[in-house]
Amino acid sequence: MHTIVAVALNTFRESVREKILAIALLFGVILMGSSVFLSPLAVGAKQKIVMDVALAAISIIGVLVAVLLGGTLVHKEVDRKAIYLVLTRPVGRPAYLVGKLAGVVAAVVLVFAVMTGVMVAAIALGAGGLRPAVFASVYLSLLETTVLCSIVMLFSTFTTPVLTTFFTLCLFAAGSLSGDLKVFASKFGGAGMKIVTELFYYLLPNLKVFNLRHEAVHGLPFRAADVLLATLYAAVYSAVMIYFACLIFKRREFR
Amino acid sequence: MGRRLSRHRRVRRRGAVLIHMRGFAMYVLRVVGVKKYFRSDMSLARREVLHGLSLHAQAGEVLGFLGPNGAGKTTTIKVILGLIRADSGSVTLFDRPVGDERSMARVGYLPETPYFYPHLSLGEFLGFCGALSGMGGAQLRERIDAVVETVDLSAHRDKRLKTFSKGMLQRAGLAQAILHDPDLLILDEPFSGLDPIGRKMVRDVLVDLKKRGKTIFLSSHILPDMESLCDRVCIIREGVIVKCIGLDDLRKLGEGRVEVTARRWRPDMLGGIRGYVESKRETGEEVFLVVREQRFVRPVIEHLYDNGAEVLEVANEHCSLEDLFIQEISRPGARTKEEKKEETHVFTGF
Repeated sequence: MHTIVAVALNTFRESVREKILAIALLFGVILMGSSVFLSPLAVGAKQKIVMDVALAAISIIGVLVAVLLGGTLVHKEVDRKAIYLVLTRPVGRPAYLVGKLAGVVAAVVLVFAVMTGVMVAAIALGAGGLRPAVFASVYLSLLETTVLCSIVMLFSTFTTPVLTTFFTLCLFAAGSLSGDLKVFASKFGGAGMKIVTELFYYLLPNLKVFNLRHEAVHGLPFRAADVLLATLYAAVYSAVMIYFACLIFKRREFR
Repeated sequence: MGRRLSRHRRVRRRGAVLIHMRGFAMYVLRVVGVKKYFRSDMSLARREVLHGLSLHAQAGEVLGFLGPNGAGKTTTIKVILGLIRADSGSVTLFDRPVGDERSMARVGYLPETPYFYPHLSLGEFLGFCGALSGMGGAQLRERIDAVVETVDLSAHRDKRLKTFSKGMLQRAGLAQAILHDPDLLILDEPFSGLDPIGRKMVRDVLVDLKKRGKTIFLSSHILPDMESLCDRVCIIREGVIVKCIGLDDLRKLGEGRVEVTARRWRPDMLGGIRGYVESKRETGEEVFLVVREQRFVRPVIEHLYDNGAEVLEVANEHCSLEDLFIQEISRPGARTKEEKKEETHVFTGF
């Protein structure tokens, strides 16, 4: 535990001192700010526009930070041989990976906190009310980003940052549509097709469970049980990803 | 067990040689018959880089590890530290298999080309390294103060590592290696990038560690430093240990022989003293004659004077580490590139 905290703290420190984090944060804040100025154009739906853009911005920036930051951290350490200093101390390789993931997630939490603060300020500026669904939506976006961080960590144990980014973005796109895949197969596919799509449905991350933006923007009710289930799903999926990452990383040689 | 551990700590504090402790491993480091193959990225053929390598380091010993570039020194070190796996053979640190966290806690390592975290200050970096070694709180702060002073970087403690010169990074590397007061230090080219003052500082640190009974595994090309620091050296050539010798034994190799340096030498002078002289080396007007035994020195000198030569110096001859290194590395038997190529094996096992 001691070593996991040390690696996580170092990763967090490294992340917040990276230019890419500041740039992503600035981009997100500008995106949200623009929605405040553009919202008067949508007559009667001013608050909805601000909320919709802000929640989308938080989700997009979260994904970008997870992919761009997480994808380079492990590779950079291996490539520059800084990892020698860590792995030649009493630090297990799984502890190193878990620490790395925790550090990246901590940086993502910081980004989410700043952006949520800006969103709350933007909504308050427009004299709008904040519903619990808005915060639930931000929380689920954070879980989605955590799952993506664990996927990034898996790929970064055996491939380059460019391929890690590519594979993770592919999985993000596929995961966002995995629910539709099942519906499509049940309506149009044969038995074989159904088995294949079912397999993909369970293997790919089902990112739809983390999307509560529609309910948050339109003030629709949501079930707390769904949020709990999504939390459990994120924990299990991330644990499985990290487990496979550890299996690969344990076998890896540092020439 | 508890009693043994507390005794261990007491002995460490006194800086005594740990070999005398009951139950303590005689060999701090033991490498037996290690083979390692590397496969190039795009090919199935694999090349043997370590050919059943064996060596050991005893507690309190400074073991020098010498070899030309590409001989397998860094690969051996990486196998010892578990950064790469041996394909066969065994490696133990403190009688435990490589990678065991209890033994790794007692190892300090300085890599050949240290790359540290540029975003961290020296203090933050050492704090991170200490935390990884299980240190914390006041104990860690005290140790950081002490090692920063030891490597003469106190004034740079709060500066980011990205502003450090190569020599300063090397010293920071040494600081992290000794931070947790390890029993075994593995140092890969610790003098690299250092100016003469930095080299002296590192040498002094190593001498102090040696006095405190630490085991040091030292890989370097700076032979005079190796000769002054090491108790024993192992020479590796093409993945094989070709020679392991104690420095005392090395000095004895040339014992009894005397080198006579003379001027105005003529080749015909050798006739009368051929039986006394072991070897002869000429540079311009000067000649260096290695006399076999002490008792032959006087007749050789008299012969040189009688024939008009001028004796400049008479000195006891001893075999230096450089002599031994060159002798072992240039010994016939080195494989050619073509032979090495033939030795690559086609990888078939999955």
